[in-house]
Amino acid sequence: MTTKRLHPRVRVVWVLRAVLAAAVLTAPVAGGFYFGYLPGWAPLVVGAILLALGVVHALLRYRRWSYEIREDALYLDRGVITQVRTTVPLVRIQHVDSRRGPVERGVGLASCVVYTAGSRGADVRIPGLTPDGASDLREELKRLAIRADGEDAV
Amino acid sequence: MKLAPQSIPYRALQKVAGVVVVLFFVVNDSEWGFPAAAGATGAVLLVAGAYEVAYYRRFEYELTEDTLDIRSGVISRREREIPYRRIQNVDVSRSVIQRAIGVAAVDLETAGGSSTEGSIRFVTPEEATRLQREVQRRKSAGSAADDGDAAGEDRGPVEEELFAISPRELALVGALSFDGRLIGLLAFAGSGSVPVVSGYLPDVSTLALSAVAVAAVGALFLVSWGIGAAVSFSNYYGFRLARAGDELRYERGLFRRYSGSIPTEKVQTLTVSDNPAKRALGYATLSIETAGYAPGQGGEYGSEAAIPIARSGRVYELAREIESFGDPSFRRPPRRIRWRYAFRYALLLAVLVGVAFAVDWYVAADIPWYAPAALLLAVPPAAHLKWKHRGYWLGEDHLVTRNGFWSRSVRIVPYYRIQNVIDSRSVFQRRWSVATVVADTAGTSSLTGSDAAAVDFDVEEAVDLQSELAGRLQEALRDRRSEVGSFEWFEGDGETDGEGDADAEAPDESPDIPDEGVVRSDFSASTRDYSEPAERVDTGGYAVDRFPSDADVAHRPDGEESSTDAVDDDGDGIDGGDDADGGSAEVGGDAAEDAADDSDGSGEAETDESQER
Repeated sequence: MTTKRLHPRVRVVWVLRAVLAAAVLTAPVAGGFYFGYLPGWAPLVVGAILLALGVVHALLRYRRWSYEIREDALYLDRGVITQVRTTVPLVRIQHVDSRRGPVERGVGLASCVVYTAGSRGADVRIPGLTPDGASDLREELKRLAIRADGEDAV
Repeated sequence: MKLAPQSIPYRALQKVAGVVVVLFFVVNDSEWGFPAAAGATGAVLLVAGAYEVAYYRRFEYELTEDTLDIRSGVISRREREIPYRRIQNVDVSRSVIQRAIGVAAVDLETAGGSSTEGSIRFVTPEEATRLQREVQRRKSAGSAADDGDAAGEDRGPVEEELFAISPRELALVGALSFDGRLIGLLAFAGSGSVPVVSGYLPDVSTLALSAVAVAAVGALFLVSWGIGAAVSFSNYYGFRLARAGDELRYERGLFRRYSGSIPTEKVQTLTVSDNPAKRALGYATLSIETAGYAPGQGGEYGSEAAIPIARSGRVYELAREIESFGDPSFRRPPRRIRWRYAFRYALLLAVLVGVAFAVDWYVAADIPWYAPAALLLAVPPAAHLKWKHRGYWLGEDHLVTRNGFWSRSVRIVPYYRIQNVIDSRSVFQRRWSVATVVADTAGTSSLTGSDAAAVDFDVEEAVDLQSELAGRLQEALRDRRSEVGSFEWFEGDGETDGEGDADAEAPDESPDIPDEGVVRSDFSASTRDYSEPAERVDTGGYAVDRFPSDADVAHRPDGEESSTDAVDDDGDGIDGGDDADGGSAEVGGDAAEDAADDSDGSGEAETDESQER
């Protein structure tokens, strides 16, 4: 089975998110400038650095992200700073959602969330899918989970 | 069944006591004086009492065939049915006052949700115990054989004591527990006040200042220790753990008595933990974790159903009795990783020295800020110890991990409890090309991030471990399934949501034709399982279920030979491919494994196909 990648447009969502985060984090610095505690270049520099970091992180994140549906498990590989590889046995899937947030709807994407009874990796989100892809993936995971026939998870 | 009547005044007072007292004093001080105050508090009490009477009248619980039904609610009404099989723990607690008036609170935990699912406040202690026993009896009756009722009844009361805390051990628990919360609180409150305080003490000599500081810290530790000792003494007073059939029961508490039951089949993780003091004395702690919420006192501690302290030999013996995991021999991380720990500790020391220097500079005191550097000598042994106490071991049915050299914990996770496996590598770990593999379970303490983890193993080993764990989970599931299947074959009743029923009965009954001479499918309540994948699932245009899969080809003829009933039992009568599980339950044993393999194979093939689309 092939390793699948996310839709390239997911970068838009992540970059937007990075912009938003940068804006929020820069706000106090801008406030400092407004009240005269800090020189004028401070918010600009901080904002630029945060934005650059956020954008680079978003792009790297896209490069890292991949997922794969194997014979009996869903396998995800992601994470820039801490690389995380998760194996979700299909038997353990409790339920599957496909969902579309406002930004995702804006760029015509959707994501799929897989829930297990575990506590740490209780919900695994696969972003960057086309709306059809997300519902197909949901159906496929559902089908595979049913086929895998888990006994009581807990 | 109703609550205990004395719960009405108790509940009313419990809810409004605080309000009433405040109200009384506030109104009493106002211009209207005592009569108004008495009137107001009386009115509040009356309203509360009326509400509680209504609550009492509405609240009803009932033990039915396979669920516990609770009807409650005065304003918004709720009816809840909790299947016995889904109940994780049943806990009973009684505070001092509750004991005095003879009531007890019963909490039933299931794995769903974050709060207690069934909370019965309050019943008499006898009723509480009866509920506890009855739930267990019905649960085991449900999952065991037909004659399970009688057997359950016989076996129910037989309690075999596993552990009872001795006064010596209780004293040890007290002595060894240290409540860090006070220190944390003071440190938090104090962190902001250092500059303020220093402003008031400009002239005091350094010596006096450090003397006071040392004395204060000493007193703080003593007080913390005292609090910790008192808390754990009252918590674990009279602790005992017993085994009754397939259930563990515990009891503890000095002021507030707790008792609870933990079904052994619901145990997620066992943790044996110790620290240097306990190790030196040869003691350890065992905690038992289920997916229900923490028994006893909310989520703070994770599982409270723990053996607070016992000889480590005894602890392992008990742990093996609950989960027979054998004798672990741990695999350690690569030796080079000790450098990583050494660097880490050195870095920590550098930060410490830096902070000390900053304080010294800020307060303008002449304290020896470089003193922490002396700890540098301790770094190599610490790094070595940390490495030495890490490890994992793959047992026959269990993953055992060990971590931490100060507070060391050994976690025992049965493979079939693994929910997912996570391999993570931080930036720093990547530099050493090592990884951490976490086996996530549904247990509660993993919420606090203390999952079973194999930390800092070689990348290749981590990858192997991850796939090995996933593989062993599949294997364990397969084993359990065939076990359940063959079990049902003979006993005719299943714990798999009745899914086995139809399949298991079929071969048994079909050969002999019923009295009226008509073979009909069994439409009794439990035979139709709606979770069975037999229904057409909308696969969104995938071709998968349109064609019968290998699994079906393998078992269908067999099923038809052995029973005329089997086809009907399937109910749907459609080509299947849907029926991999029914198939395995039906044929049992080796054939089940084949079928499962086949279905896996076919699943793979189909996914391939679907991906090509």
